[in-house]
Amino acid sequence: MLSPRKTRKARIAALFAIGTISLLVVAGLAAPAQAATKKLTIAFVMGAEADPFFKAMKVGAEAEAAAKGVSLIWQGDPSEYSPATQIPIVDQVLAQKPDGLVLIPTDPTALQNSVAKAVAANIPVINVDTHVGDLTNVLSFITGDNADGGRKAADAMAKAIKYKRGTKYQVVVGLTSATATTNVARLQGFQTRIKSSYPGIKIVDKAYSQSQPAKANTNVSNWLTKYPKLNGIFAIDGTNASGAASALQAKGLTGKIALIGYDAYKTNVDLIKKGVFTALIAQNPAAEAKLAIDYLVTYLTNGRSKADIKALVTIPNVVLSKTTSALDLKKYTYVQ
Amino acid sequence: MTPTASWTFKVFVKKLRMLLANQQFLLLVVLLAMIGFFTALNPIFFSSAVFGNILLDWGPVVLIAVGETFVVISGGIDLSVGANVGLSGVVAAYAMEAMTNSHQGQNFTIFIGLLVATGVGTFIGLINALLITKARIVPFIATLATLGAAGGMSIVFTGGGPIAGGPDKAITLSVPWLGPLSTPGIVVIILVTVIGLFLHKARFGRYTYAIGSNSFAARIAGINVQLHLTKVYALSGLLAGLAGMYFYLRLGSGAPTSGAGGELDAIAAVVIGGASLSGGIGRMSGTILGAFILTTVTSGLIIIGVAPDWKQVVVAVLIAAAVLVQGLRSSARDI
Amino acid sequence: MAKIGDILLEVKNISKSYGSVVALTDVNMNVRAGEVVGLVGDNGAVKSTLVKVLSGAYQPTSGSIFLDGIERHWASPHEAIDAGIETLYQDSGLAPHLSVSANVFLGREKTVPGLLGRMGFLSQKYMDMTAHADLDRVGIAVPPSSRSVSRLSGGQRQAVAIGRAVSWASKVIILDEPTNHLGARQAGEVLAVIKAVKARGLGVIFISHTLPHVLQVTDRIVVLRLGKAVCNAPTSEFDADRLLGTITGLIETT
Repeated sequence: MLSPRKTRKARIAALFAIGTISLLVVAGLAAPAQAATKKLTIAFVMGAEADPFFKAMKVGAEAEAAAKGVSLIWQGDPSEYSPATQIPIVDQVLAQKPDGLVLIPTDPTALQNSVAKAVAANIPVINVDTHVGDLTNVLSFITGDNADGGRKAADAMAKAIKYKRGTKYQVVVGLTSATATTNVARLQGFQTRIKSSYPGIKIVDKAYSQSQPAKANTNVSNWLTKYPKLNGIFAIDGTNASGAASALQAKGLTGKIALIGYDAYKTNVDLIKKGVFTALIAQNPAAEAKLAIDYLVTYLTNGRSKADIKALVTIPNVVLSKTTSALDLKKYTYVQ
Repeated sequence: MTPTASWTFKVFVKKLRMLLANQQFLLLVVLLAMIGFFTALNPIFFSSAVFGNILLDWGPVVLIAVGETFVVISGGIDLSVGANVGLSGVVAAYAMEAMTNSHQGQNFTIFIGLLVATGVGTFIGLINALLITKARIVPFIATLATLGAAGGMSIVFTGGGPIAGGPDKAITLSVPWLGPLSTPGIVVIILVTVIGLFLHKARFGRYTYAIGSNSFAARIAGINVQLHLTKVYALSGLLAGLAGMYFYLRLGSGAPTSGAGGELDAIAAVVIGGASLSGGIGRMSGTILGAFILTTVTSGLIIIGVAPDWKQVVVAVLIAAAVLVQGLRSSARDI
Repeated sequence: MAKIGDILLEVKNISKSYGSVVALTDVNMNVRAGEVVGLVGDNGAVKSTLVKVLSGAYQPTSGSIFLDGIERHWASPHEAIDAGIETLYQDSGLAPHLSVSANVFLGREKTVPGLLGRMGFLSQKYMDMTAHADLDRVGIAVPPSSRSVSRLSGGQRQAVAIGRAVSWASKVIILDEPTNHLGARQAGEVLAVIKAVKARGLGVIFISHTLPHVLQVTDRIVVLRLGKAVCNAPTSEFDADRLLGTITGLIETT
């Protein structure tokens, strides 16, 4: 039989564990509770809270919400970038009856219905970063210019491998998913530019890492074996950049194979200096979030007039490299 | 058919069924077939470098699968190992970042990181054990709760991104220097061998089997079942912590998503290796081969240029086959 | 070692209830060295409850247990085992996935000498040989020691379970339905084992609903009815009809 002392210890342990879980749950529910106040409420549903890209976006959104005096519902799956988890989150957020919705759809078709639901409830929708397939009912789509980022990556790649006409080059591309519109646009920009300006470069392989750096690492490690003459790697987002960088370092190929990354995670920015990344393409997620909130506030306080709102805004990407000034590096590094 | 001929045929069938019921033999056949298949499609597959890549992936999978083997043989399940890998990795990463900032030696820093990772891992294992043995929550639910808690905490702590800034040397430890083997790989092989001996040759393993086979029998034989289960879940947690450190050494940073879903790989390796989820059955050699097959599929599919997502399908087929063989084995016994 | 005829294990006024359900009420009984006491009557649950109280698996709600005249409280089966009381549980006392010798030595494994032994490494060869010898000594046809118990027949399993209990008991063996599901020949072997155990000066408590076996092997019979011990008399006072009458209550006892 258990001694009373042991039993109590056990109960405390159980309580501790349950307490931890409930705290997390409560923390998740606390944000929507703010929706009860009278000022404007804007809901922001993004992809994966875990991603520093969205963390940086949150910083921009919170600062702008505070400046405009609106309350912000910030929601997304804790770690998974997936329509399966995002759709119920959108439903929950809409049940809070926000005045406006900023949505970063994790899939262009799967989230179309969620947009329709919001519009039916008279809630205006803005897409940021990625967009739904049919933008008719979307007030505005604000994005980093991903296609342009892809083109810039192609230029950086050509420069890094010292591209010469008539020579053949092999490069690989590490992606997160086949449908995320950022991935699609960047890849498209990259491919288009290579076709028009650097026909000697051949994309020999592509693979998906599902937001896990370790999987990206496995992909790149195997590619390095499969293609002994590989010239360059284009890691299309932060996760792939982390995985590719570590694989190159572990194989002792730092600087020998060009690595063009995407997203200015602090860990990746630090690796520019070490020569692991030849170049890093950075977005400005905070600026995207700021504009999205500005637009919604303008629209809602201006009698729902679309006068001052552009249907498509692209915020250009920047290229970070060894020659970028320390000040700029700091400015574009995503907040964590 | 003459009586003699039918008798010989029966013996042949029986022998064949016994051989087919030998999980280790079958796994080797499957593994060789895979190697043959991948090599035929791309000869570069049969190389030391690819073997090195497979071993690199195999390390963390086999670490948590070995812990899971003990848990499954004891009749339980540990769903928290994947999340445990992430949490112990990021906590260790924070510790190593702090030590690097205060200019501690690299080897010493990595050693402390190892201690922190295994400490966090073991702690989560002990929470599982408390929930299971004292609060009497079934292992599936108890470890599902710690999965959520650990996974959530690693994201809360990190804000989502990878934690770097530790010793530069960390990542170079994953470079193979003994043929396809790196230092972490060698450590894993030694560790898994020693733990395998404890499963099959020592009292610790004997008690694990006894509890999974019939926990009442174990209890009336005087085995302290609760204490032993506590050790089993602590071991599973400790190995998950080691896997967290392994990922750190591989990525040069602690990512909260490292190990996500790893529990499914571990359970798949254990089941493919021939263990029964109802307890009492399982072999370390089966788990080791099971994990190896999983990572061979991953690398093989990349090398032949098929999307690694097909791995899920291949694994599903292997699991179904493993369960089928288990049924075959019990019917072979009845002959 | 107690002399033949000394009281080894004695329980006084044992009651056990589960919430409002009363299983045992004021049960008194004892077993002496070199004596086989039969425990019959009532339903299986009541008998099993008494067995589990005697062997330390359950704690009684009230009443006391004495071993060699000293009051004992078993907090776990382990303590009863250490005190020399072995119990053979109906059907459930073996780990089916373990080998015969692993079951015989379960909880009492023999380790190899030296550092490896201290780390718990087992001397499998010694255990296989000793288990085989022990079972052989008890006089039951024994299967190979390394075979897994799940591959044995019902009779062989029972033989292993009894052999295990006999080889470890130093005072009392409690056998819960040891002849259940056995054929006549195998049951005969089990009864012969019980007589051999008795001759070694151990006390045996034999629980069974097969009355001919009880009459054949016991020295004294305790009859349980509705959770009470209604009769405790030498076996010589019973014949089959009288025993059945006492169990069913057709023959009044005081």
